[in-house]
Amino acid sequence: MVAVALLGAITHQTLAAWGPADARPGSFFGRFRSIRPASFANAVVVLYAVSTLLGGIIYLTFRVDVRPELERASHWHVLGFFDLKEHFVAIGLALLPAYWVCWRPPLANEPPQTRTALTSILAFIIWWGFLCGHVANNIMGFGS
Amino acid sequence: MTSSAPFRRFAFAFGTTFAVLYVVALAKDLALFTVFPSLGIVLAGTHHSRDIADPAMGFLAPAMYWYGWAATAALGALIVALVAASFAERLARYVWPGWIWVIPVLSMIACVYLTLPWFRL
Repeated sequence: MVAVALLGAITHQTLAAWGPADARPGSFFGRFRSIRPASFANAVVVLYAVSTLLGGIIYLTFRVDVRPELERASHWHVLGFFDLKEHFVAIGLALLPAYWVCWRPPLANEPPQTRTALTSILAFIIWWGFLCGHVANNIMGFGS
Repeated sequence: MTSSAPFRRFAFAFGTTFAVLYVVALAKDLALFTVFPSLGIVLAGTHHSRDIADPAMGFLAPAMYWYGWAATAALGALIVALVAASFAERLARYVWPGWIWVIPVLSMIACVYLTLPWFRL
C-alpha cells in the first residue's frame, strides 16, 4: 500500500513537473497542473522513507529464504536487477533532503531544472524498485 | 527555518557526497558493519561468510553488506554535509546546483557497471 501510494504521488509530480506550463485547463496535463506538484513533496519524502524502512526489514528474510532459491535456479539476471534496486534506493534516500528543499516554497529559490531532475531520478528509482521487487517476488511463485 | 541556506547546503552536500561514497564503499567493499541474518548477529566492519564458516558451508551464514555500505556512505556524507552547512557559505556560491542530480546519475551508472558481473553468469 505504501509503495503504491508512493508510485502514484511521484508519478503525478513528475508528469506535472515535465508537463507544459501553458497546458489547456481541460487537457490531460492541464488537469495534472491544476494540483500543485509541491503538495506531493512531503508525502513522497515520508512514503519513500517508510517504504525503505519496510523494505530493509523484509530484505533480511529475502536474503535468507528467497535469494538462495533464486541462486539455485540460476536467476542471475534477477539478482543483478535486485542488487541495482538496493543501490538505487540508497542513493535516492540520500537525495530526499535536497529534493525536499527544491520543492519548498517559494519555488523560485531553486532552478526548475534541478527540481525536475531530482524528481525524475526519484521517479526512476521508485519505478525500478517496484518493478524489480515484483519480478523477484513472482518469478518463482513466492508468496503465491 | 529548515529550508534556510545552511540546511540547503547540508542537503545538497549530503546527497552528492553520499552518492560518491556509496560507489566507493561498494567498489572497495567498505561496509561499516556486516549483518548475518541467519545467525542473528552484526559484526563491525566487512566480514565474508568464509571468514566465519568453511567455504563449503558459506550458504548457512549469508552475509549482508548493503546496510553497512549505506552506513559507511551516510557517515562520510554526514561529516562533509555538516562542514558544508557550517563553513562553506562563500564556496556554495560558486558550486553549480546541478551537481546534485548529475553526480547521483553518474553514481547510478557506476553501480550498473559494478553489477555487470551478475549479467555475465
